[in-house]
Amino acid sequence: MKESKISNVAAAGSPVLELKDITKSFGGVKALQGASLTLKAGEIHALMGENGAGKSTLLKTLAGVHRADSGEISLLGKTFVQGSTKLAREQGIAVIYQEPSLFPDLSLAENVFVGRQPVKGQRIDWSFMEDEASRLFGELGVALSPSTRARGLSIADQQIVEIAKALSINAKVIVMDEPTAALSSKEVDRLFNVARNLRNQGCAVVFVSHRLDEVYALCDQITVMRDGATVGSGSVHELDEPALIKMMVGREISDLFPKIDVTPGEIVLSVKNLGREGQFKGVTFEVRAGEIIALSGLVGAGRSEVVRAIFGIDKFDEGSVTLNGVTIEAGNSAKAMKSGMALVPEDRRLQGLFMSASIAKNSSITILNRLTRGGLLRKASEVATAAQWGKTLQLKYADIHDSVDRLSGGNQQKVVLAKWLATEPKLLIVDEPTRGIDVGTKSEVHRLLSQEAAKGMAIIMVSSELPEVLGMADRVLVMREGLLVGEYNRGQANPENVISTATGSIKTL
Amino acid sequence: MISIVQRAFKVREVPVFLALVLVILITGFANPRFFSISGVQDITLGVAVIAILSVAQSFVIVMRHIDLSVGSTIGFSAFLIGIESSKGAPLWWCLTVGLLLGIGVGVLNGFMVAYLKLPSLVVTLSSLYIVRGVFNEVAGGTTITNTDVPSFISFLGRNYFLGIPYLFLIALVLMIAGGLVMRHLRWARDLYAIGSNPPASALVGIPVARRIFTAFVITGGISGLAGAVLLARFNTAAANSGLGLELNVVAACVVGGVAIAGGVGTPYGAVIGAVLLQAITLALGALGVPQFWQQAVNGILLISAISLDRYLSSRVKPTQIMRVNA
Amino acid sequence: MNRFSFTWDKGVALLLVVVTVVGSFGVPYFGTTDNISFILQDIGEIALIAYAMSYLIIAGEIDLSVASALNLSSATIGVLFKNGVPFGWAVVGGLITGLVCGLINGFLVTVVGLQSLAVTIGTLALYRGLCFALLGNNPVNQMPDSWTSLGYSNIPGTFFPYVSILLVVFGAIFWIVLHYTPFGRRVIAIGINPEAAKFSGIPVARTKLALFAATGLMSGVAGVVYTLRFASASPDGAVGYELAVIAAVLFGGVSIAGGVGTLWGVLASVLVLGVVRSVLQLSNFSANALLIVSGALLLISVVFPRASELIRAGKKAKSSN
Repeated sequence: MKESKISNVAAAGSPVLELKDITKSFGGVKALQGASLTLKAGEIHALMGENGAGKSTLLKTLAGVHRADSGEISLLGKTFVQGSTKLAREQGIAVIYQEPSLFPDLSLAENVFVGRQPVKGQRIDWSFMEDEASRLFGELGVALSPSTRARGLSIADQQIVEIAKALSINAKVIVMDEPTAALSSKEVDRLFNVARNLRNQGCAVVFVSHRLDEVYALCDQITVMRDGATVGSGSVHELDEPALIKMMVGREISDLFPKIDVTPGEIVLSVKNLGREGQFKGVTFEVRAGEIIALSGLVGAGRSEVVRAIFGIDKFDEGSVTLNGVTIEAGNSAKAMKSGMALVPEDRRLQGLFMSASIAKNSSITILNRLTRGGLLRKASEVATAAQWGKTLQLKYADIHDSVDRLSGGNQQKVVLAKWLATEPKLLIVDEPTRGIDVGTKSEVHRLLSQEAAKGMAIIMVSSELPEVLGMADRVLVMREGLLVGEYNRGQANPENVISTATGSIKTL
Repeated sequence: MISIVQRAFKVREVPVFLALVLVILITGFANPRFFSISGVQDITLGVAVIAILSVAQSFVIVMRHIDLSVGSTIGFSAFLIGIESSKGAPLWWCLTVGLLLGIGVGVLNGFMVAYLKLPSLVVTLSSLYIVRGVFNEVAGGTTITNTDVPSFISFLGRNYFLGIPYLFLIALVLMIAGGLVMRHLRWARDLYAIGSNPPASALVGIPVARRIFTAFVITGGISGLAGAVLLARFNTAAANSGLGLELNVVAACVVGGVAIAGGVGTPYGAVIGAVLLQAITLALGALGVPQFWQQAVNGILLISAISLDRYLSSRVKPTQIMRVNA
Repeated sequence: MNRFSFTWDKGVALLLVVVTVVGSFGVPYFGTTDNISFILQDIGEIALIAYAMSYLIIAGEIDLSVASALNLSSATIGVLFKNGVPFGWAVVGGLITGLVCGLINGFLVTVVGLQSLAVTIGTLALYRGLCFALLGNNPVNQMPDSWTSLGYSNIPGTFFPYVSILLVVFGAIFWIVLHYTPFGRRVIAIGINPEAAKFSGIPVARTKLALFAATGLMSGVAGVVYTLRFASASPDGAVGYELAVIAAVLFGGVSIAGGVGTLWGVLASVLVLGVVRSVLQLSNFSANALLIVSGALLLISVVFPRASELIRAGKKAKSSN
């Protein structure tokens, strides 16, 4: 009977993984120039830094996707063999990505043991495999049935399966890359308990995150990267928040949430009794010109579903949506757009952008009809408009004809914003506008939203980041399990009552 | 009791099997001759070739690929087997020729899909035509007649074992072999993984290219060897042998639960699907539908099969957020 | 965008020049005006359908039923005319048949949600089967000369066949719409990322339905051309034409993955196909050789770009790994 003992990895406190002075260039671009990381057994180690700081490249080097140009990597004292994901796994590195990729048609047990199913002779030993999987899930404190198919599993459960997989291959280092982005707070707690268990058994856990509160809640040690190099490392007790931010950004960010006070005008959007089978029901609210409404709540509360229904990506079953007095047809995003709505979606890579297309083409896709003369597109107008928006948004790029997948996350988000602001919408909906974006660009986006509101735009902001919600919104609407359960004005809202309403510990409305 | 039924229905092959039973019952009542021994033998004999090809095709479809060249391959192989036999070659040599042809086509298809990473639709569509074209060149107007067919093959085509046609028995044996492989061998489970999530399968260390290549070689090889079965079935072969079979094979697989999207389905389902479609075809004949409508009906059946498959797999509803009992 | 397709288009145009020159010098009778007229007639139907098929493939779909739809249009014309309908109206009937075939495909893909590959394999059989159901084994051979002469004669005073008018007019329309209008841009967007297209306010389902309808309509137009050219409607006409269409489109630089391709690449590719066919025929290769060549071209059209991609990726990996 195989046991997934991690406690014999190394004595707690001794180094498990050391990366020293790693450099890596792609073409002429230096992604890493002197990145270092020391992981000890029995520790949860946060890796932080702005977008473009090199975290992702460092992790990919560790995972075997890249081979470093120079520098040393040693695992438990031995030289780590680079350049192969298979070898990385065999040497004991496991990476849990933000969106894990399971095999939807295979059972959970098969997912854990994919490619290396236990065998009796030549035949797969199904019962042993399922028992082992059960045991692993039990060890992680999760009740999942090993014979169910992976299709339809929540992201949180998928991550647990990935962790079980890591345990079954006796991983010595488990890397969690932005794991909490799509998790509800109950699921985050569960994940953190799992991480602490792993740590207590002697594993080394790397936790990559932008969320300062989570890092301070969970981690023991923090390493900060900036511009491809490690700029500092210290224990959670040594580094306080301002010091941490300063290390990440290299400058002081005084004004994270530049909110301009605006007197709200006429009602722009009126949502009455909106419902969609199984997803949300009885949603009623209004947004006035110049207002920024935050739609907050736990992940999975139904906020994105509501705004997608308002914009017409999905069809709503009951209720009505009115924009400036005009009733909006359900399920027709083209018409919603024409009426003056805009939606910056949650997933910019999959939903917001055409990654292989140029900045110019991405910016213009929403306003093509405006760039024509006699029915034919004028490419010169397209380029000029894109360049104009690029300037307004302070977009950093080399050539307007470069494809957007060359841009950093923050700049990509700016392109999505550009394409929608160009339509001169009366109502702008932004879904997690600053997720996965570095601190510097974050404040630029906030400033932009404030400015547009000041010019009379009505804005709905779906956000899971409480500081953002409290800093930017005129009113905070709280959703929980498909229902609108709370509303707070700017003066009233504070972290305690918003979170309590979101989790249901206060009975409200 | 209800939960047993519910669990049974979760098995993909059960609804198809029930549909088969239903079709046979309905047609039998309309035309009692359908129920006779010869009626059943008609179905099983008629379906043997498609059933064999469907078992082979299931290996490929499960990976989210497709092999449209099987019709050309089996036809060409049947012809070559007949030619070699008419030249006096021993049976084992004739079969080897057919097998080698099939493996050759499979190797070419497999190489292009697995290593050059070309879409299997395009690759096998062109092999379909290239192989058929070469076949036409080689065959010209020649026809293999029943005197050219090896006697053992003729025998298999015409006789029964315990009332079951030998050809169908071959299909059943292949089905069981294929089914056991797909369930119990590691490398076969990899095929399901590849079809279920292609990018992830490379990341978990599955040798994707090698698996895809092997699957195409197997499909090709089986199609080649099955040329003997085609020859046995019709006792003749010519330049148009096997024409259009790929359509029926794909339909049989889809109907039998081997979804085009990959990741699910078994050789058992493929064969049940083939039998169901054959039963429907014969049923329509027994109910008086004219021959000319045959191809049109085939088309409708395939479309219906795909629609049903889509309906069944779309039972995954959008994410449930609200509590069921408020 | 994808810089390789740019080079590929030019490559095909270059190839066209090369094979034409080789043909003119190497094969007697090739360079005559009669032969040029013949080539244009020969690829007429394929080019017309290829124009519409390019849009479909760029948008990430495919239609394998076009040859059957073409022939069903032809069969409709034959049956209507045989039953006393004036030929002009029979032609209209043929066009409507093509359009309906396309709409059915479009409905099954965009409304029912089926995959176009599998569905159009089914409608390929269905439409072809309907040809047999309509005509039995009897082709319709009696057709008014005033019409059929359009099928085989040249425009008075030139050596261009009448079908050239259709080729030029439709070619221009499809070209301009794809590259210079918002609609064309949206089609390309759908091909690159259908999800993002949906989120950008593009009516994806409606657009795809229109593309299937257009493909069906062009199959109908091709059906009319085919009927006039052969002055008959038979149940087994145009078998295998879908291969030539798809081969021409893919060989013209349109990527089967969607989102990439230009129409003039497709036009050049169709002409290459026509020239190669002519060369083979004049050199006394059988009609069968044509089948093999079309299959080979189809293969080359996907192998070549992929092989160069792999070579370039291999070089890049060596330099950075």
